[in-house]
Amino acid sequence: MARIEADDLRKVFRSPDKRPGLAGSLRHLVERRYSEKVAVDGISLRVDEGEAVAYVGPNGAGKSTTIKLLTGILVPTSGEVRVNGIVPHRNRVENARGIGVVFGQRTSLWWDLAVRDSLELLRDMHGLSTAEYWANLDRLVEMLGIGDLLSSTARRLSLGQRMRADLAAALLHDPPIVYLDEPTIGLDIEVKDRLRAFLRQIVAEGTTLVLTTHDLGEIEDVCSRLVIIDHGRIVHDGGLRQVIETYARERVMHVDLAARPVSLAGIATRLAGATVIEERDGLGVAVTFDPLAHTAGDVLTAIQAELQVVDLRIKEPAIEDVVRRVYAGQLIPGPDDSPDDSPDDSPVR
Amino acid sequence: MRRNLWLYRRCLGAQLRATLEYEGDFWIMSVAALLTQGMGIVFLWAIFRAIPQINGWRFWDVVLIYSLVALTEGIAVLLAQGAWSMAVTVNLGGLDTILVRPYSPLLQVLSSQIGMNGLGNLALGGSLFVAALLHVGVAWSPGRIATAAFVLAFAPLVKIGLNVLTNCSAFWLKTPWSMFPFAFHTLGELARYPISIYGVVVRVILSVVLPYAFMSYFPATAVLSLGSSSWLGVLTPVAAVWCLLLGRWAFRRGLLRYESAGS
Amino acid sequence: MTAAVTLPSAPPRRTPTVRQTLRAYRAMGRAAFRSLVAYQTSFLFGLLATTLAAVAMLYLWRSVLAAGRVNGFDWPAMKAYLLVAFVAGSLVSSYVDYRMAGRIQQGDVAMDLVRPVDYQRSRLAEALGFGGYELGTGLVVAAAAAALFGGVPAPAHRSLGAFAVSAVLVLPLRFGIVYISALVVFWTRNYVGVQSARIALITLFSGSLVPLSFFPGWLQGLAAALPFAGMASTPALLYIGRLTGADAWRDVGVQAAWTVGLWWLGRAMWRGASRQLTVHGG
Repeated sequence: MARIEADDLRKVFRSPDKRPGLAGSLRHLVERRYSEKVAVDGISLRVDEGEAVAYVGPNGAGKSTTIKLLTGILVPTSGEVRVNGIVPHRNRVENARGIGVVFGQRTSLWWDLAVRDSLELLRDMHGLSTAEYWANLDRLVEMLGIGDLLSSTARRLSLGQRMRADLAAALLHDPPIVYLDEPTIGLDIEVKDRLRAFLRQIVAEGTTLVLTTHDLGEIEDVCSRLVIIDHGRIVHDGGLRQVIETYARERVMHVDLAARPVSLAGIATRLAGATVIEERDGLGVAVTFDPLAHTAGDVLTAIQAELQVVDLRIKEPAIEDVVRRVYAGQLIPGPDDSPDDSPDDSPVR
Repeated sequence: MRRNLWLYRRCLGAQLRATLEYEGDFWIMSVAALLTQGMGIVFLWAIFRAIPQINGWRFWDVVLIYSLVALTEGIAVLLAQGAWSMAVTVNLGGLDTILVRPYSPLLQVLSSQIGMNGLGNLALGGSLFVAALLHVGVAWSPGRIATAAFVLAFAPLVKIGLNVLTNCSAFWLKTPWSMFPFAFHTLGELARYPISIYGVVVRVILSVVLPYAFMSYFPATAVLSLGSSSWLGVLTPVAAVWCLLLGRWAFRRGLLRYESAGS
Repeated sequence: MTAAVTLPSAPPRRTPTVRQTLRAYRAMGRAAFRSLVAYQTSFLFGLLATTLAAVAMLYLWRSVLAAGRVNGFDWPAMKAYLLVAFVAGSLVSSYVDYRMAGRIQQGDVAMDLVRPVDYQRSRLAEALGFGGYELGTGLVVAAAAAALFGGVPAPAHRSLGAFAVSAVLVLPLRFGIVYISALVVFWTRNYVGVQSARIALITLFSGSLVPLSFFPGWLQGLAAALPFAGMASTPALLYIGRLTGADAWRDVGVQAAWTVGLWWLGRAMWRGASRQLTVHGG
């Protein structure tokens, strides 16, 4: 069953083209010129019940705008969106009952109230019964470890504490869909781990999750599907493994040598399309190859035909490499694009 | 409807608790309100020391109008001060979290602040109102009392509706400052005096375009049966509903073009 | 501004010359002027608000004086009085103190402490920068209002000299009050209340709505003991020629004395406030 259906969503922001000064303002009244910025440019997306989707892209690619369209905060310029079967921006109250939202940069708690007071206000807005409220709250308090935060004022919480309290606020009504926009930004590792474990658990319990993040570990840990967006368009949508095979097929074989080789040209001749680089001050070689063109055995044979190998490691690309390249704006599909030389001390996966 | 009102009270109550964290503010704001409204009364008194009446309005008649402005302002500030937070809420992105809660966004915005100057306004406005009623020399019949109560109950809603309408400019102006609605608030202050002193353009604006006169002048004419248009005062509830509807309409239009903050 | 004393033993840290220091303040004034121009729309709406209040006063007084002279004021003189008071009141509007209070509340004022210029003089420089813009727009509005209400008489010849001096003193005097009220934020946290209390006091006791001679004796006495008359009443009365000869110069003298007195009071308060800031860390 599809929880979220978006069809050809577009959002265009219009900002006035005003010249500076009073004269500019007056002129704008007469001329009214605007410049348009297309933030989301025809996105279609379908998320089924229980899926956990990572939504990534470089800054300004339209991630947050998409989330705001899906949650009904923004009204799309064109296109259709349905969440839990309703159009979010036309029926905001109804929509809000079925979703939970956390914006990492902004709290939904009342700043000057104790966390408990905020949660009770939300309880009343959601119309939860006392029994439901306590059942959910107990569970969240335990999973997020926020028992001793409940009586603190929101403005006194640290970032990590606030984020956990915010998650509790977003999940208090046990929503079937949860949107998290950069939920772990600025948090330390311990809190991050705890939050990831929490997210894994709610996904395991059947919650549909849409997550935008810069955190690579979070994607691998929590999500099964990766949607990559750039310039307001979806450039990839699929399973995590599939992303690697599409965007980062090449493997790197690192070999340690007994002696410095005279030339590496021979290896390159034997392996068409592969790149051969000297490393470890001449006592090593790194060969980057496409496994569809050459097997690892072929590569090793080619090296051994020329040199004496002492030790070897093969490095497979991790999802991190893909996402890092996405964020750096370097995502060009296909094996022709050689990866930036990956540091050879990174662990083999 | 009942649920909406109950939630509104809940939100205001929570806000009150939050605001009371800053007790010093309460006293400063109360003193400021007393000074501001008191200044206006001293001003009127100084004028009426020199002349007995303006356009047929005597001192206590004008005090009655004046006290209604203080009272409506006090109620608007206590119950719906959130309207003045819109410039910030809308343009610094705070509206995002409001829009994903299952309760009317407009009511959430309105109940998001409590003006601590409200009590000062109510106290002074209330005393002036009582003092004025004791001095105006109106013959009180049950009918007049009923009319007065009915009309006065709706007067603050006129101000609240117009506050929402003018503050919705935040969606269009896109600045976190409330100077534009504040200019209109000042326009509303013109309704502290009998509007018959103004030129025809100003009178039309105050009674039709942005009917601020219905929060003070027209209700007062209805209570006092003074002036040629005292029957207009009975229309105060109509004006109130009209202003509230205008405010809601502007807010809905605004939400359609809301752009949040950032991208 | 510290006097330009050159210390022979410390050549690397040169004390700035008077001219350099003045240049720094001029730059601050210009920056203030430009920032007002940048926030022009907001500023103009603010001006619209005060204009509406002034227009209400003009209407009210037209009705009051419709039957003839009251307390020696006729309608043309009253128009001129109110408009001079309006222009005077548009100077040092809430920008200087708004910025000061914001920086104090957020603790940014600590940054101002380490700048190599005097805090109070810097704020005055900014007030002068804003003032150029405020005076210009205020005069335009006053001229338009004067046209709308059938013109105003020219300034009285007899007291022209005193009026000129008084007009020049308005800005530094208003600055003194505004500066002091903004410093109060060091102790109160809330500024909106302080600001509106200050506005209420100035509005009443400066005579900008009603000439102080309309007050009963005891209230006139109180107004005379306060620093506010020089912010509207004195220049406005001089303009319409109600204050002449020795009386005129006496009131201008009082205005000047308050200007200087408030400046030093502000200095003392700043010393107390910055001590609190450095001792308690804001």
